[in-house]
This record gives sequence, C-alpha cells and structure tokens, in this order.
Amino acid sequence: MKSAREIIDSYDGRPLRIMEVCGTHTHEIFRLGIRRILPPGLKLISGPGCPVCVTPCGYIDEAVSLALEKNAVICTFGDLIRVPGSNMSLASARSRGAEIRTVYSPLDALELAQSDPDRQVVFLSVGFETTTPGSCLAVRKAAERGVKNFSILSANKTMPRAYEALKGSADAFLYPGHVSVMTGTALYERLCAEGVSGIVTGFTADEILTALAAVVELSRSGKPFFRNCYPRVVRPEGNPAAVRLMDQVMEPCDAEWRGLGMIPGSGLKFRDRFAPFDARVKFGISELRGRDNPACSCGRILRGECMPPDCPLFGKVCTPAHPAGACMVSGEGACSAFYQYGEKIDE
Amino acid sequence: MCVGISARVVRIDDGTALIDASGAERKVSAELLEDLEPGDYVMVHAGVAIAKIEGPSGEETAKLMEELNNEERTGDH
Amino acid sequence: MNERVTLAHGAGGQQTTELIDRVFKAHFSNPDFTADDAAVLTLDAGRLAFTTDGFIVSPCEFPGGNIGKLSICGTVNDLSCMGAKPLYMTCAFVIEEGFPMETLERIAAAMAATAKEAGVRIVAGDTKVAGRGQVDGVFITTTGIGRVMEKANLSGSRAKAGDAVIVSGDIGRHGCTILLARNEFGIEAPDVKSDCAPLWSTVEPILRAVPGIHVIRDATRGGVGTVLYEIAGQSRVGICLDAASVPVAPGVRGVCGMLGLEPLYLACEGRIVIFAPKESAPEIVKTLRSCPGSEDAAVIGEVTEEDPGKVVMLTEIGAKTLLPRPGGELLPRIC
Repeated sequence: MKSAREIIDSYDGRPLRIMEVCGTHTHEIFRLGIRRILPPGLKLISGPGCPVCVTPCGYIDEAVSLALEKNAVICTFGDLIRVPGSNMSLASARSRGAEIRTVYSPLDALELAQSDPDRQVVFLSVGFETTTPGSCLAVRKAAERGVKNFSILSANKTMPRAYEALKGSADAFLYPGHVSVMTGTALYERLCAEGVSGIVTGFTADEILTALAAVVELSRSGKPFFRNCYPRVVRPEGNPAAVRLMDQVMEPCDAEWRGLGMIPGSGLKFRDRFAPFDARVKFGISELRGRDNPACSCGRILRGECMPPDCPLFGKVCTPAHPAGACMVSGEGACSAFYQYGEKIDE
Repeated sequence: MCVGISARVVRIDDGTALIDASGAERKVSAELLEDLEPGDYVMVHAGVAIAKIEGPSGEETAKLMEELNNEERTGDH
Repeated sequence: MNERVTLAHGAGGQQTTELIDRVFKAHFSNPDFTADDAAVLTLDAGRLAFTTDGFIVSPCEFPGGNIGKLSICGTVNDLSCMGAKPLYMTCAFVIEEGFPMETLERIAAAMAATAKEAGVRIVAGDTKVAGRGQVDGVFITTTGIGRVMEKANLSGSRAKAGDAVIVSGDIGRHGCTILLARNEFGIEAPDVKSDCAPLWSTVEPILRAVPGIHVIRDATRGGVGTVLYEIAGQSRVGICLDAASVPVAPGVRGVCGMLGLEPLYLACEGRIVIFAPKESAPEIVKTLRSCPGSEDAAVIGEVTEEDPGKVVMLTEIGAKTLLPRPGGELLPRIC
C-alpha cells in the first residue's frame, strides 16, 4: 500500500493547481513546509478563506471610530488587532486610550457587557459559517436577557458565492474543514456536478497530505470529483442547529471582499428584529469605505492568478509589520505566510 | 480561517460544556449539538462546540489511504 | 490586615523607615545588607559580570511565583548565563499607592527565599511610592554582580557550525501561565505553572562537567524562538531546529491549540538554551536531567554554516521551512 507521501512524491501527470481556500490550511501548509515537498506538477494556491484578509479596511475604520468617538469597549479576536485601517489599527487606537479587549469567544463579549452595564460593548464579528453562529448565539442570548449595552459590528461572510467567483481558478479545491462542519457537503456535490473538483479535509499534517494524495489519485480519471476526507468531524448534513440559528438571526446581503470586490449575496446582516444589536444601527454610523493601495495584487493572488512575490509591493512597502494589502494583513494570509516562512530559504 | 481544537467533554450543565484539551480547560457553549455526553470528543471553535468527533484522526486517514490505494488498483484494470 | 501602602511610605520619613524595617529588612537581612547609602563589598580579583533588569508583570502574583521571585531569577539567570556565580544584588521598588501591604510582604518573602536558593545576597535597595494609577501595582528593578568561573568563555557570538542546540526543559510555561492568570480567555490549565527559577545550580554543573560550551542564554520574553534568532544573528550562523524534539508540556500545548499560539514564542523564566560542540551534547543533557526542574532537557537542533542569521525548522513531515521571526505582541489567532 502506498502512503500519502509516496502518492504525492511520485506524481508526474499534467500540472495540477490546488487551491486551499481556508486561511488555517494556508497557515498549516506553510508551518509544515508542505509546499516544499511537492513535485513540480503540483502547485498550491492560497484562496480567500482568511476572514481578516478579506475584511475591507473601512471595517477597521468603523471599529476605531466606535472606540474613540463613541467610547465603546471593543471586543475582538486577536487576529484583528494589528490590521491597518485607513488611518490607524486597533492597536494604535488602544495607545490613544481606546479600550480594546481581546476575547476568545463572542459569548465572552456578551458576559463582559453584562458585568459592566454602564459601558457599551461592541463585538467585532468577522468570520465565515464556522464563526458566525457564535455571534448569533451571543445576540440571541442578549435579546433573551434584555441586555441593552451589547452590540455587534458585523462583517460576516458566507462561502458559496465565493466558490462561484473562484470557479476556474484551480483544478481542485481543498474546502475549509470547519466551515464544512456547519454547512455540510451538499454544495460541494453540486459544484462537482458543475465540474468543480474538491476535497474536504482537516488540519493535521496527516489530514492535509491525505487530501493532497486524494486530489492526485482522483484527478487521474479526468472527471470532476468530490471527496469528504474529514468525515469524523464533517457530516454531509452539516450542523443543522447552527444553520437554523444563523438563519434566525441574520439574512444575506451583498458584501465587499477586500481584494476581490463586491460579491452579491455573500454577506450577512441582522434581521430586523435583531437590529437593536447591530452596532451600525445602534450608533448610527454608515458603512465606511477605506482606501486600498492601487498597486496591490491581492485580488489576483486570491484568485490564483499570480503568486505573492510577483506583486511589486511584496516585501518592499508591504511587509507583515507594515501590510499594504489584504493578504499581508493576517498571519493566515498568503503574502504574510510567504514572507514569514520564506519561500526560498537560501536567499 | 477557523482555528479549531478537539477536546474531551468533562461535564455538561445547562447548555454549557466543560471541555479539556490536553490539560487546558474551558467552558464552551454546547447549544449547537444534541445528545452530547461526558467523554465525547468535540471540535471547539471560538467558545462553541461545533461538532462531535467520531473516532481518531489516524484511523480516518489510514482508512482513506486504503480506499485510495484500492481505487488505484481498480483503475489499473 | 487591610493595610495598604500610602504616599507617606515613600516620603522618606518615619513611615518609610517603618516600611523598610518591617518588609524589606525583615526578609533580606544578611551581614552585607546596608543601612548606609551604599553597600561596601570586598571581592576577590578576577572577572566580574554585572547586569540590571526591570520587572513589570500583570498580575504580580501567578501560579508558580510572583514578581519578587521573578525579579531575582531574571538577574541571577542573566549572570549565570555568562558563567558567573551570582554574589550580590540590589533592588529598587516603585510601588503604587494603595498596594496591599500583605502582597508586598509575600513579594519580599519570595525574593528572600529565591535569593537564598540562588546563593546571592541582597545588599541594598530603594523604595518609591507613586500615586494611584501611575504604576501598575509594583515595579521592581534588580541589579546583580557575579564572579565569572575561571575557564568560562561564554558569549552569544560564539556559536559555531556543528554545535548542538540544547534546551534545559519544556518551554513556554511562564508565558502561558501569565496569559491564563490575566483571565481574559476563560481558559484554565491546572497543571501549568510558571517555570520561573534561579538557574545557577543548573548552569554550574554543566560548566564543570563540560568544558568548551560556547553559548548559554536564558529564554525570557519572546521565548526560545527569539533566543535562536538572537544567536543566529550575533554568531552569523544558521540554526536548524528540529520542531518535533522541542519539549512542550501538554497543558501548554492545549492552551496554544485553543488560541492559535506557537509555544516557541512564549516566555520562559527558568529555561536556558545551550550551544556546545555536538560531541558534548549527551553529557550536557545527562547533567541537565539530573538537575531539579531540567528533567525534560533535550537537544532541539544544530548550528549550520548555511543560512547565516536564519532559523530553519525541520517540520514533523521532514520538510524544511523558516521559523517565522518573532515580532510584536503575541495575539491569539481564532477566526
């Protein structure tokens, strides 16, 4: 029996472009050095599945303004702290006196609001189908408990329309394991019927290598394929309770993806009855439009049209300490991973 | 995009599960999963248990590799 | 027992004397502890190591220690890493008005106990009280002097290709402990306690057992990952780190898994990284493992001629990649 490594190592077929959609896959693939062991015929492309990367810079501007002008306590995942806005990041807002708390869960933000009823607490809700139900849970509980000082600044996105937008960017997709936990695999079956190949997989070295071996093996027939390589966690039907909850609290809207532009129906906003927990409604702020560097190639990188070092800004004006574009912003972005894990060791 | 950790359920109390990930413990919401019991393994993301885990990772990848090898063999015929 | 430190305790009058007598003198008392403006010491001729370090930590008490213990360990360990037996220390306190006297006593007691364990005498000190909100609880600065062992020749610039890289125990426990003690993430890890410890009793045996050690550095802020980059830069060598051989306690691994953190960048306060010719590595590891607290000592990598200034990581799948350079505030990665 051949191991996953042997199958990958011996691949000598036509060039295959495989897009890992999920930022955590990107992170693990770089951390493990998986790109470095691939034969020339296999190429990994990092897709748009890092919510921090695709969050438009105007979102940070909104959060900074809530913190500094509305004096709200901002609760956020650590991922967002260093992301630059048009003028400043949350870290620089904090140094100017803003109260910015790093939390592990949206539910912690709700608890903080309940323990400090005199302060307005705003949770920065970014993320895809994996993360959104936690925010919805917090909002539903806040409504049940009549909490008046808790709200959410939402930039939540959903993946299905993004897959549509990415069609043709790769020969096969590594679908995001933990998004699939929630959504199930029906969409991937449908995409497969439309000619889009993909594999759902987990995040350990073994799981990622097995998925790549599966891409290699299943590509041989030349027919589109879908395989769930993470069935102990991902069920075909997903997590129905989570999907119901999201549908109860939020509804689809158009959303801007930093680097990709506007994708219709790919965002989520609060349904009317939960509007009191929408920070934009509560504080009367309108969605801000940030300014991106026009020379940035992030959009093309996210669509797999070029690699980070091909960008004129990469490693020069755009570094993890001073990111200019979406993919350099988060540790899970393609450019940041390329920069930090050094695509070439001996430069 | 979604850092998850697999953890063992220690106890469940009114929609909240105490979970243990190799010695790190936390209370998380168990409201999105039905029929959870102490001893179960769950995937946890941002303070929410999002899936029950069936069996260890090693077994799953071993089984998948066996299937792939079989497919290769049948493909050769 | 709700007594608190007041501005009067820092004003230099009778209350200051009372505070010093009751808290500091009571604990630090030794024949060299001075009541004068400066301690007068008689030292044998020879090479001396001399260093200073400031300590701020929130919370100031945590599982496995407190800021007092930390303030002794930090300076004693810096001396030890130069092959110097710690002899004398001074300490300066800046205390926030309203700080509980009881806590201050515990801090002073921990300093005395740690100094005793490290074989060092506290000979002089200073106390200031700052208004409420001007400092966070208590800040301590310690300065230490030590005598360098005769044949020791240690420096961060002496690592050479062919050296083994050895760590004296499991990493990241102090950083993990503080992260949890701040209670921001609702995570508990009952088995995780700070590794904070004075290390002369660890350094001395290996220096005696193995001549020709090139570098010893204690991994503090920024963790072992930061030390590796420091030495790679200072010695202009490459370092190849075998990721799978780095000892990490299960609880630390669990916390890092939840928060998306890398243990290599978490602070230690009782761990040293040693660079020495490969042949001597087994003896060093054996000697370390016989020292209390260093039972998990392990070889974690080697020094190479290639890739000067870089730390290359051999990953669990046998691939080589760069260890990302440590930088900035440690932030949990969740979404």
